[in-house]
Amino acid sequence: MAGTDYHCPHCGAELRGGVRGGSRPGGTPGCPYDGLAYAALRAGHDAIYFGPWRRIDAPPTEIRRGYNRIGRHLDAIGGELAGHDLPAAVRDLDAALAALRAADPREEFRDTLRFMDNALSYAHRAIDDLLHEKGLPPHQPMDFSEWYDVVEVPFRDEW
Amino acid sequence: MIDLDRYPREITLRNGASLVFRPMVRDDVDRLWVFFQQIPPQDKMFFRQDVSRREVVQHWADTLDYGLVLPILALEGGRVVGDATLHRQRTGWKQRVGVVRVQIAPHCRHIGLGTAMVRELRHLGEKSALHYLMAEVIEEQSAAVRAFEKMGFVRAATYRNFVNDPRGGLHNLIVLLYRMSSPDDLDV
Repeated sequence: MAGTDYHCPHCGAELRGGVRGGSRPGGTPGCPYDGLAYAALRAGHDAIYFGPWRRIDAPPTEIRRGYNRIGRHLDAIGGELAGHDLPAAVRDLDAALAALRAADPREEFRDTLRFMDNALSYAHRAIDDLLHEKGLPPHQPMDFSEWYDVVEVPFRDEW
Repeated sequence: MIDLDRYPREITLRNGASLVFRPMVRDDVDRLWVFFQQIPPQDKMFFRQDVSRREVVQHWADTLDYGLVLPILALEGGRVVGDATLHRQRTGWKQRVGVVRVQIAPHCRHIGLGTAMVRELRHLGEKSALHYLMAEVIEEQSAAVRAFEKMGFVRAATYRNFVNDPRGGLHNLIVLLYRMSSPDDLDV
């Protein structure tokens, strides 16, 4: 099933097949986002964040796939924000959309990956804004890294 | 007018600690003074007033005006562990610029409290019809700079050897700006 997309039936997250221990089609046990606030958005973010498009040797098809997934992810965040009065989060989402528009995965454009990364980063901040309104700590993708094929651990230093 | 109905707010940090955010009230003088006593001298030397003196904090409490200065405290039990302030002007050329300041107790650093307080100030700023939030940070306070940048503040200027500490040493001052979302943005 490696390389196949499916949705966790419990949290609704779009997850990529082949992950270690993540939710499986038709089964809820093992979903690492089970019971978390905004589980679908968090899982959706991480599936992209740890996705193959970020690998140094990612083929163009994976980059286009990542681009489209970011677009769907931003749509999902927009849908959630529609029910809240969070102008700062809306601003982040707008910035994410602008970054995604600046990327064009169909072209040999060296800044495409950077713009996609920026879009995902703004999306992350919007999710954190939602979590903050619930009094919850920010989402930390690395907390879920064991469910993905992670080869790098980004530097983290919080104030 | 900022809607303060959202307070008190319970905030959970990454380490599981549960804090309460709420505006400072007059009765907070002693707990805020105790908080400032925990701040290391190297951080306190950049304060605009001598917060080691109780009467300074008492004066703040006696002259509380949320329309001018809105201090949000982070409380762990009954103790203040963080202080974030939004400074505004009602008139004049900077009435659309809010100045933010954040101070975190040493034992609560590096667990996301500073970031949470900056996020809270950003929310308040967005609700205040401001156009910009501005933060001034000494360059050595790199964690604070990162926290502001993480929340969308951008470095607008660095003033080299601009401020001095009590011993006369000079330090670079970084000015960070966060541009607010406002309908006026469309016209700028």
